[in-house]
Amino acid sequence: MNVITASNSQSGTPGLIRRLGKALSTPFDPEDYLALFDPLQSAREIRARVIGVQRESDQAVTLTLQPNRLWKGHRAGQHVLLGVEIEGVRHQRCFSLSSAPGGAPTISVKRQGRGGVSDHLVNRCREGDLLTLAEPAGEFVLPDPVPERLLMVTAGSGITPVHSIVKSLLASNFDGKVTWVHFERRYRDLMLSDSLAQLRRDPRLDLRLVLSGDSPRDGDQAGRLDEHWLTDNIADAAARTVFTCGPAGFLDTVMDWHGEHGRAPLFHERFKAAPVVAGEGGRLYFSRTGGQAEAAAGVSLLEAAEQAGLKPKHGCRMGICHTCKCKVSKGRVRDLQSGKSRELNGQEVRICVHAAEGDVELDL
Amino acid sequence: MNAKVDHFDPIVFERPGVTLTRSQVDAFGREIDALREEIMADLGEQDARYIRRLVRTQKGMELAGRGLLFLGVLPPAWLAGTALLSVSKILENMEIGHNVMHAQWDWLGDPALDSSTYDWDNTCPAEQWKHSHNYMHHTFTNVVGKDRDVGYGIMRMSEEQRWNPAYLFQPAYNWVLASLFQWGVAFHDLEVERVLKGEKSFAEYRAQRRKIMKKVRKQVGKDYLLFPLLAGPFAPWVLAGNATANLTRNLWSYLIIFCGHFTEHAEMFSEAEIENETRGQWYLRQLLGSSNLEGGPLFHIMSGNLSHQIEHHLFPDMPSNRYKQVAPKVREIAERYGLHYNSGRLSRQFGTVLKRINRLALPSRRKPKNATV
Repeated sequence: MNVITASNSQSGTPGLIRRLGKALSTPFDPEDYLALFDPLQSAREIRARVIGVQRESDQAVTLTLQPNRLWKGHRAGQHVLLGVEIEGVRHQRCFSLSSAPGGAPTISVKRQGRGGVSDHLVNRCREGDLLTLAEPAGEFVLPDPVPERLLMVTAGSGITPVHSIVKSLLASNFDGKVTWVHFERRYRDLMLSDSLAQLRRDPRLDLRLVLSGDSPRDGDQAGRLDEHWLTDNIADAAARTVFTCGPAGFLDTVMDWHGEHGRAPLFHERFKAAPVVAGEGGRLYFSRTGGQAEAAAGVSLLEAAEQAGLKPKHGCRMGICHTCKCKVSKGRVRDLQSGKSRELNGQEVRICVHAAEGDVELDL
Repeated sequence: MNAKVDHFDPIVFERPGVTLTRSQVDAFGREIDALREEIMADLGEQDARYIRRLVRTQKGMELAGRGLLFLGVLPPAWLAGTALLSVSKILENMEIGHNVMHAQWDWLGDPALDSSTYDWDNTCPAEQWKHSHNYMHHTFTNVVGKDRDVGYGIMRMSEEQRWNPAYLFQPAYNWVLASLFQWGVAFHDLEVERVLKGEKSFAEYRAQRRKIMKKVRKQVGKDYLLFPLLAGPFAPWVLAGNATANLTRNLWSYLIIFCGHFTEHAEMFSEAEIENETRGQWYLRQLLGSSNLEGGPLFHIMSGNLSHQIEHHLFPDMPSNRYKQVAPKVREIAERYGLHYNSGRLSRQFGTVLKRINRLALPSRRKPKNATV
C-alpha cells in the first residue's frame, strides 16, 4: 500500500513544485541532491536497484530490478541497455528482459567467460547493487492482433525474450495455441527452469525441450536443430508465425528453413553481430579533434577511432542501442551487418557497425 | 643541457637561459607523453571513488549551508552557513565543474560527470566556457594576442601588450575584477573587442549574449530571489549569506587563477613562436607559461588542483587527483632539461602577480618586439 501511495504522489507531483525544485537546484536537478539520501534518484537516467539475485546455475543468474520512476515499463520481448560499474567505469551491454511487463523487471544473464558485463553480473552482482537502464527498445514483440498459432524456436540464452513473450501471453486472455521448442546442450545450462516448469502447466502452451548433450528426462527429446527438424517435429510448422532467438548459427538455420518453407511471418532477435563483411577500408578524418587514422577493411569506425586513441561514446557495440551514433559529414560507409554500402552527407550512423569505404569525415 | 650546433639537429627552442635542439625537444615531449600514458592506464576504482565522494561532500555541504542560512538570524548559524556554502561553491566550480568540463572524468561513462552535458554553478554557460577555456586558453596558453586569458581583454599582463593610459588604473580595477570574477568569466567568450574590431559578427555576439542572460537569470533567481523568498522574514540573512558565498568564491578563484599564469617567472609567447609548433614545443610552452602553488592536501583540493597548474596544462584531461602524483616527475624532467619549474607558496606567487599588475600599469621602458592588441 505504501509503495502505491508513494508512486502516485511522485507521478502526480504538480508541475509548479517540480519547477520550483528545478529553479532552486539550478543548474542541477533536485534529484542530484535527493540522491544523497536515496541513490536511485536521478533526473537523467533510469537507475535500478537489484532486489533479487536468483542463481539459475553456476553459469547464469536472474536479477530482479527495482527501477526509479523514470522507468516506464517494457513490451514483452524487448531488450534494454544495462549499465554496471566495474572498477569505477560504467560498462554497458544489451540484455533481453526476461519478465512479463507489469511487475519488477528481470534480466537473465549467462556467463560469457570473457570478463565483461555478463561475467560481472553472474559472478559479483549482489542484492542492493545499483545498475542503470536505458529505455527498452526492440521490435521483437508480438504483433497486434496476436496470431492464433505461434511457434517459438529458441536456443541457449535466446530463451530470455521469448520467456517474457510467452509469460505475458499466457497471463492474458489469449485463447490460441503456442508451441515453444527450446534447444539446450544440458539441463544444467537451462535458464529460468523454475518458471518454465510453472508455465508448462498451462494447456495453451506446448513446451518442448530438446537436448543435445544430456539424456532427456520425462517428455523431453534428444537431438539438435537442422534444416528438417521443424518440418519433421512440429505439425504444420510452416503455417505458424515464428519467433526465434539464439546463437548466430542457430538463427541462420531457422531463417533458412523459414525462407524455404515458411508461409507466415518470422520475427527474430540476434544477440551477436552478423559475421563481418569485408569492406574496402579507408581513411578517417576526425573533425572535432583534428586527427586522422587509417581504418582497415571490416574494422568498425568505432574500433578504428579507438585504435587512434579516441574514446567515442558507445554502448552495446553490436548496433542495437544507438549510443554510439555519430555524424558523418561526408563519406561512404559499409553496414557491417547488412553488407550494404551507402553514401552519407551529414547523417548519423552507429559507428560500431559501420566501416569506412574510402575517406570518411566523422564528428569525433 | 648543452646544445651543440648541428645542421641536422637545429635549435628549435630558445628562451632566456635555455636552448634546446629539435631532438632534445622531441625527447622531452616523449618523456611527458610517457608520464601521461602511465597515469591514464592506471585510472580505476579509486579515482571513481574520489570524485563521487567529493560530489557527495560538496552537495551535502551545500544543503547544510543553505539550511543553516535559514536560521541566519543567529550569528553562529549565519557564519557556519555562509562558510559551508562558500566552500561548496568553490569545490563545485573548481575541483568538480572545471575538471569535469575538461573531460577529466568522461572515462567513467557517468552522464552526471560527462564533459558534454555538465553545467556548473556559475553565470558562465558551460558551452561558452569550454570554448574560451578548453580550446582557446589551453591551446594558445600565454600567446599574447591569441590567449584571451592574458589580461582578459581589460588588463595589461605582458610587455608585448601595447600600453594605453587606461592601464594606469589597473591596480585598482584588478580588485573589481576579482570581486566580480564569475561575471568576467561569463562575458569573456563574448569577445567584445573582436566584435568592435569587426572580427566577429554581431549576430554571433547577440546569440551568445542571449544564452548568457538566460543562465544569469537562473543563477541570480536562485541565490538572490528564490532562496531568500523561501526564508520569509529571514530573507535578508539568506540574501547576505548567498552574496557573501558568491563573493568568497569569486575572490578565491581569481586568486588561484591569476597565480596560474601571471607570476613573476611565467613566460609569455608571441604568435610567431607557435608557428609549426610540435607537441614537444607545446609542452614546453605549457610548462614555462604556468606556475604552481605549494600547500597541503586540503589547499590543493580547494584550488581545484590548479595549484598544480603546470601539470594541469600539460595534461588538461587527466583527473586532477593525479596531479600530485605526477608533479615530482614533471619537476625532475624539467630540471634535467634545464627548464625552470615555477613553484612557490600562494603569498609569494601572488605577490609577484601584484607586482606585474603594478609594473605593467605604466608604459614599458623598452620597446616591445611585436606589440599586439
